[in-house]
Amino acid sequence: MKVTVNGKVAGSKESGCALCGATWGNYYDVICGERLFFCCDLCAKGFKNIVDRSGIENINSIEIKGNYYSGRRCVVSGEGRASSFFIRFSDDAEVSEFREEQFPRKQGHGQSL
Amino acid sequence: MLLCPACYSEYRTWDQVADHMSGLATMSESAHVMWLNRNLSKEELSKNELGQRLSEMFSNEGSLLEWARNAVIRKIYSGPHPLILAMQKPTREDLLGYVIEHQHFLKNWVRVLSSVIERTDRNDVIKYELENITTEFLGCSGPSHFELLMRMGESLGMRKEEIQSIGPLPSTTKAIGEWREISFKMGWQETMGAMHSLELIADRGISSYGAKMHYFNVKILSSNDYPKEVKRFLGEGYSADTYHSSEALSLVEKYAGSRQSVQVAIIKSLDAVSSYFNARLERAAMLR
Repeated sequence: MKVTVNGKVAGSKESGCALCGATWGNYYDVICGERLFFCCDLCAKGFKNIVDRSGIENINSIEIKGNYYSGRRCVVSGEGRASSFFIRFSDDAEVSEFREEQFPRKQGHGQSL
Repeated sequence: MLLCPACYSEYRTWDQVADHMSGLATMSESAHVMWLNRNLSKEELSKNELGQRLSEMFSNEGSLLEWARNAVIRKIYSGPHPLILAMQKPTREDLLGYVIEHQHFLKNWVRVLSSVIERTDRNDVIKYELENITTEFLGCSGPSHFELLMRMGESLGMRKEEIQSIGPLPSTTKAIGEWREISFKMGWQETMGAMHSLELIADRGISSYGAKMHYFNVKILSSNDYPKEVKRFLGEGYSADTYHSSEALSLVEKYAGSRQSVQVAIIKSLDAVSSYFNARLERAAMLR
């Protein structure tokens, strides 16, 4: 499973946390059969939420763009398909906002005044 | 005495603070890792580098107002935060998200600032905060900011009773919890600094200090695309917050025992307001 965070390969201590790209910490978790590096348990929890929300069990790649503040746009690929969505986490890595969407999405959806 | 900016533990030197933070980060302790990621660096630093960076970050140079303004620009405007982007051309949902979540922010605002009054014996501070609370919640020569907020909501098609029946989203509750924790755990000077530094976000002069844009697009104030109640609410903050924040931070600087502990509280507060801004975006998304 290839993980990229903001355009850079991630998931090892050297390359950075599989969710946020940071190199602090020493937390590891096995997700989809792969041992991945995270800076803390909350990033691991957020990453698992991305995997769960994708609905894909056999994942080939996960592309994550964004951060805690902006939310994250994710493209999860596997089983011959791709799942694209926007996801935002609360401070305890629960999903606070989620919507499926085509990647990338334009800003400013909503009713104009 | 120096405080760990993540957990308020006390140390004598920056090297000791760095040793403490680095040790907990190595153990993947989430509060310290998150603080480092969000405020200092995503790249792991050596203890020496970390001590140096912390020392630079909590610099004593310049006034507290200047330091706080730079912290606001770095934290809120360097991205900028997506809420700031949304406020450049806010939709009805963005503004209703503002109304619904901000009512809880304002109620907490006056509660936390009341705790400053309760704890200080300084006349100028008591007078300042009483005036601020009155303006926000009761109104002086005109309607209060809370009332103007309600009117903005009504102009967007939501009844006041309906607005006030909606509770805060978890991200707003989390932010309110952070501000209340600051008021419980820290002194009135730190509490005052934490709250009033937030007013710098809407300071109309912020772009002249390096922010890429203003809190909202000021053309809204003269636009025919928005109800007058929206323009009135945004305009009140636009004209008031510069005075509010500079006067308050001058009082904090005058009476603060430790400048660094005020700085720690300000960064905590800016983290909290980022969470609250996310709640407004989440609420807007729910209304679409």
